[in-house]
Amino acid sequence: MQTEKFYYDNKTVRNFAYATILWGIVGMLAGLWVSLQLVFPSLNITQYGSFGRLRPLHTNAVIFAFVGNGIFMGVYYSLQRLCKARMYNDTLSKIHFWGWQLIIVFAAITLPLGITSGKEYAELEWPIDIAITLIWVVFGWNMFATIIKRREKHLYVAIWFYIATFVTVAVLHIVNSFELPVTLFKSYSWYAGVQDALVQWWYGHNAVAFFLTTPYLGMMYYFMPKAANRPVYSYRLSIIHFWALIFLYIWAGPHHLLYTALPNWAQSLGVVFSFMLIFPSWGGMINGLLTLRGAWDRVRDDVILKFMVVAVTAYGMATFEGPMLALKNVNAIAHFTDWIIAHVHIGALGWNGMLTFGIIYWLIPRIFSTTLFSKKLAHNHFWLATLGMIFYAVPMYWAGFTQSSMWKQFTESGQLKYSFLETVTYLKPFYAMRSFGGTLYLIGVVLMVYNIYKTVKSGKLVENEVAEAPPLVVEHKRQSGEHWHRWIERKPVYLMVLSLIVILIGGAIELIPTFLIKSNVPTISSVKPYTPLELQGRDIYIREGCYVCHSQMVRPFRSETERYGEYSKAGEFVYDHPFQWGSKRTGPDLAREGTGNLKKTDGWHFRHLREPSSMSEGSIMPAYSFMLEQNLDTSSTAAKIRAMQTMGVPYEKNFDRKANQLLMEQANKISKNLLSDSIRVSPRKEVIAIIAYLQRLGKDISKP
Amino acid sequence: MFKFIKQYASTIENCQVYPMISLIIFFVFFVVLLWFVIKMDKKSVTHLSNIPLDKPEIESNH
Repeated sequence: MQTEKFYYDNKTVRNFAYATILWGIVGMLAGLWVSLQLVFPSLNITQYGSFGRLRPLHTNAVIFAFVGNGIFMGVYYSLQRLCKARMYNDTLSKIHFWGWQLIIVFAAITLPLGITSGKEYAELEWPIDIAITLIWVVFGWNMFATIIKRREKHLYVAIWFYIATFVTVAVLHIVNSFELPVTLFKSYSWYAGVQDALVQWWYGHNAVAFFLTTPYLGMMYYFMPKAANRPVYSYRLSIIHFWALIFLYIWAGPHHLLYTALPNWAQSLGVVFSFMLIFPSWGGMINGLLTLRGAWDRVRDDVILKFMVVAVTAYGMATFEGPMLALKNVNAIAHFTDWIIAHVHIGALGWNGMLTFGIIYWLIPRIFSTTLFSKKLAHNHFWLATLGMIFYAVPMYWAGFTQSSMWKQFTESGQLKYSFLETVTYLKPFYAMRSFGGTLYLIGVVLMVYNIYKTVKSGKLVENEVAEAPPLVVEHKRQSGEHWHRWIERKPVYLMVLSLIVILIGGAIELIPTFLIKSNVPTISSVKPYTPLELQGRDIYIREGCYVCHSQMVRPFRSETERYGEYSKAGEFVYDHPFQWGSKRTGPDLAREGTGNLKKTDGWHFRHLREPSSMSEGSIMPAYSFMLEQNLDTSSTAAKIRAMQTMGVPYEKNFDRKANQLLMEQANKISKNLLSDSIRVSPRKEVIAIIAYLQRLGKDISKP
Repeated sequence: MFKFIKQYASTIENCQVYPMISLIIFFVFFVVLLWFVIKMDKKSVTHLSNIPLDKPEIESNH
């Protein structure tokens, strides 16, 4: 058959590769900086540079900017070759590239400004959420159109992973981003409390699954055979890997909410499916590693294979650890501690980072038609990255396990052995060691930048790489006796629909009953909506990212009820848009902050916010003295009340009209109260609102 | 819009069969998948696994 001549687009691939490297450095620098803030709290410079605002910047930059661009680099390179076709439309490629970078820039600007929705890994506010949706559709459009005009009949397994990624991320992003805009930069989650938590962690876990994992598995299935120059170990296994993984992953979200107020049946489903995930994950890892069977001698010399082997091994470690962490008994120890930070960094530094570096070293010389400038430098990068990862993870495992044990220890007379602060100051050396590990890793990346720079200088970009392939003869009909799966492989749209159905089963079974059945969220009659001042205070709490370090979820363990008070119930959170349960206790839980033996005076809070170490010696919390200077913006109060009413919070009719008057009355009271503690501060300052909110926490269900 | 979130049903009828249905869906899905994967013919497996390599097909040894 006569072949057609066509050209692969390498320019877009190069752009995404550069963006991956650039944002990788930004994200890692932000990570290093926030890790140092935990050792030296004075590095919290101004409100724009405080931990609570920069930590989301770090996570968003690494996930959506570094790994995100890495995905697009890998997809744009491999998809064209696997389809034997140029990307469908150059303009779409351009819009996709620049649109995604613009979103990242907006994220980098808005997060330090405190513009956040307060939902982890989905912090970006509603206008950016819409932009993400649009650009994602552009990506999907470009991808599907390329697949449809392909010259290779069958869709290689990598493409299935890309399709599943596209469709699932779209579903996750849209469902989790239902929010009611109040102003241009402020919205409230449609869901409240337990329901918000379930949706958020269904999203959060599957962002790990379908943003950090499935596209990278697709890339593994393409680039690893390429780098090893041999086919994947078992194509059959890869089919099972794909379907089992996408089927099981979507159910696993509730393992982030074990022992919380989430209904027990949902927790159990989360545990069972998380545990089963070990089978497809390890199937995938084994498939990746065994691709190198008979070529292990090459791993000794080939730095690209080295990166890939460590990446796949880290994937195996993280996916063994994940199911273990999802067991309730292990989770009781690990949750809220640095153990989880270690776990996710095995994934991020090991799996995503190492695979990205391997692919960059493989791909850049090819599209620039040259050879890598220095293999030695790349080897040094490899060792720095590996050591950096170890220096990062080991202290964090140690810190997590230690802190958890300290939280749970009682004296012989039955009292808690350690104050929370003691468990924090104990960890400082571990935090310092972690920063050292991160620094090593980052130095490795700097070596890569130099190496890639010199490589690029020595070659010239082949913008349009020529290729030839016979055109595809379209066969719509399924031939008699043909394997159904082979038929599906020719039908990208069917494959997408089937993937969609598979991922919707788990999501629907977990989400719908939690929303529809009343008994899943028993109401508590004494739980009332927030006062206008408390609501404003809560929004400051969200703006400052307090949830990054403070949970609001007392689990039903003696060590927690002794420390904090009554364990948390589902009915307490029905007016919380969004929920603020948190996932990490760098500081203590705050669910009972306004009650019992945790109750402090307004004056204590004032002094603590101004200079935390003045009240808690050795505290690593940033100072919030700017709240003493800044006036509370009350112009939004009425709109916020109306938004809450729209979402079903039972404020009385026309409450929005008198909201600011009530707000001032409560603020005056707190201001007077502070005066009696010899603190003179205007009732209009932000600090008054946040104090009102903190004093409210836990009050509704405590006895008067 | 979205008021449905606040309108609870007290129960979903015959809810007890749901777990059984889920288990059956799950089980059947994987049995069928395994069956067809095992039945796949070797030639097509070899062809598929060689797509990325862009070279004359080599026999994979498994």
